[in-house]
Amino acid sequence: MTEAKRTARVVNHINEVDNTEPEVPFLEIEAVRAKEFIPVAKETLMGLISRGTDDVTLPFFNWAQRNSPYPLHIGLACCAIEFASAFGARWDGERFGILPRSSPRQADVLIVNGTVTWKLSHKIITLWEQMLEPKWAIAMGNCATGGGPFRTAYSVVPGVDKLVPVDVYIAGCPPRPEAMLDGVLRLERLIRERRG
Amino acid sequence: MSELWVNMGPQHPMTHGLWNLRIKIDGELVLDVDPEIGYLHRGIEKICEYRRYNEVVTLMDRSCYVAGLAWEQLYFMASEQALGVEVPQRAEYIRVLCQELQRLASHLIWYGAWVQDLGLMTPFLYSVRDRDLILDLFQSFTGARMTYEYMRVGGVRNDVPVGFSDKCRKVMDWIEDRLKEYEALCDRSDIFLKRTVGVGILKAKDCIRNGVTGPMLRSAGVARDLRRDRPYSAYPELDFEVAIHDGADAFGRYRVRMEEMRQSIHIVRQVLDWLDKKPGPVLAENVPRFVGTPSPPPGLELYVKRRGFPKGRGFSAMEEPHGEALAYIINEGAEHPYRAKLRSPVFVNISAAKEYLVGYRVSDIPVIMGSVDVCLGEADR
Amino acid sequence: MTDTRSIWDQLLVKVQEKFKSDIISTSSRPGVLAILKVRPESIVKLCTFLRDTCTFKHCAMVAGVDWKDRVEVLYHLWSDAFKGYLELTLDLPAEDPHVASVARVWPGASWHEREAWDLLGIRFDGHPDLRRVLMPEGYRFHPLKKSFELREPEELEVKSRHV
Repeated sequence: MTEAKRTARVVNHINEVDNTEPEVPFLEIEAVRAKEFIPVAKETLMGLISRGTDDVTLPFFNWAQRNSPYPLHIGLACCAIEFASAFGARWDGERFGILPRSSPRQADVLIVNGTVTWKLSHKIITLWEQMLEPKWAIAMGNCATGGGPFRTAYSVVPGVDKLVPVDVYIAGCPPRPEAMLDGVLRLERLIRERRG
Repeated sequence: MSELWVNMGPQHPMTHGLWNLRIKIDGELVLDVDPEIGYLHRGIEKICEYRRYNEVVTLMDRSCYVAGLAWEQLYFMASEQALGVEVPQRAEYIRVLCQELQRLASHLIWYGAWVQDLGLMTPFLYSVRDRDLILDLFQSFTGARMTYEYMRVGGVRNDVPVGFSDKCRKVMDWIEDRLKEYEALCDRSDIFLKRTVGVGILKAKDCIRNGVTGPMLRSAGVARDLRRDRPYSAYPELDFEVAIHDGADAFGRYRVRMEEMRQSIHIVRQVLDWLDKKPGPVLAENVPRFVGTPSPPPGLELYVKRRGFPKGRGFSAMEEPHGEALAYIINEGAEHPYRAKLRSPVFVNISAAKEYLVGYRVSDIPVIMGSVDVCLGEADR
Repeated sequence: MTDTRSIWDQLLVKVQEKFKSDIISTSSRPGVLAILKVRPESIVKLCTFLRDTCTFKHCAMVAGVDWKDRVEVLYHLWSDAFKGYLELTLDLPAEDPHVASVARVWPGASWHEREAWDLLGIRFDGHPDLRRVLMPEGYRFHPLKKSFELREPEELEVKSRHV
């Protein structure tokens, strides 16, 4: 179990047969990670999913996830222009399966491209929590990695990894579109090795 | 009637940046507007007070990232006035070349992003391709695609390379041909005309009252262009026309920007002709010492402090791709500016949102805000 | 060009005569039409006159500067007729600086005044909507003041939100 804010508490009322009023409302899920959900689902659905099918389904899901990382269509600052250039005609990003989605509910990857300010921090966390598991985060550019040229500013968060758990850091100010695509490919390798 | 305040942003495909447009709607009709910016406020003005004059250039690039060289020139024109440095003629011409190429690049990506909001997906690819050609030109003489750090107090860092002029002319010819394609795509499309003509009207009187400048003002018929009204740098010697339109709507702003692109190509050709003929220095010689790194060695610190820098104030105004931008630098004899104040045109154009958004429909909002050309980096600084 | 320059010189003399008690001093710098130092109490009267009679219809910038002992507010006005900027400057005391707002004279100045309030703590009396524009609501400081120092973020304790 990790720190309080990041635990998954699935209150399972099927197993509790007593008639007392539960203290917490039904199905309070704060952040459910894929690895923790599958064992819980197996316990609750009482053998409807057996462990044997994991070996068949997980590689297939993994292949699908790593070949279609849909980033959220968000552009914070200068790196967003290079992010947009990466989907232009020269460095066609969509051939890797990268299709920007406008809604966080449909996105897999949060590519934070630009400086994160304290005013925005709440919104970034809300967007992150609205994304459904499995999800990954890429910190693109120096500002998202560690504050960048604005690290000493009063309103800048020194690195987006203070807010969301980042999987891949892409350095550069701004990183060239090839560097950004390289970062996404690195994420695909991470997913394949099931470290995501 | 049911009225509802809705947040459009900060994460919204329409916003092209991070700002929140709170609209009060009744069904599809917009009744009131309250734009909220500040999600990208990085304290550039404060950090300027802790950096030397040449070191500030990294911040100026990133303040408006689609038109970085424009803001570099703005800041350096003001600090050169504050420090009392004169720029050589060739550097002025190179700066104008940077300005106009930057205007082309900014308007191209504006065009791509705007028509993408209207639903045309393909012109985005075309304009990004053309913009990449211009960024290749920039890379050949500044070394970077987007954040150049090219200008210095007293001129520019280095001269343009040999053979640059031919490459640039080829790119200008190519873009001039492509502009005809972009205009044909939009001007002859009934749907495009229906969506943009008569939408987002801001008449001349309201523009001036609200401090709105740039293509928005020129689309209302007011022929104010700081390159011609208060010429700076090498503009007094160049010949170009000011693009105006009298529609004051989204279509008018689109026409003004397309025409500005043509005029920019014309100016670039004149500058290239001049640069081919007249070699010379590109960096002034009487720049005060230690405007940039490295800092003086320990023994000389007292010497620099006693000799000091000349005190002064510098004020510069220029026609940035988004509008009128001003810079005010106060120099109190130290290595760092005492106060660097920047006026961003987008900051003021967004503040007038109530005038040109109320009364239209929610589906008109991306059309109107796109035609205003919002770049948050300079609005928030 | 010389014609407008001479018209402007005559107009400036007339403005100085009309507002003799309000304009403290006049100076110039290459690039601006004139620099007028005015008393804070009469800024709205002067600005209304400049807008209506002297064709300064565009307020380009309202800036604040924090000196240690006083706060200086700068206004830059543009005129299409004279094609130049006029600079007005006024001094306010450092504690609790406040001055009448010119947002009713030029609505374009309203966000500039909001920014001056936000970053420097200068209050503009009569402003229709004076709240923070760049920093979040509820922020307690005015960052551009010289008493507010920038520090390295390692000194701040930023607890990671996740493990």
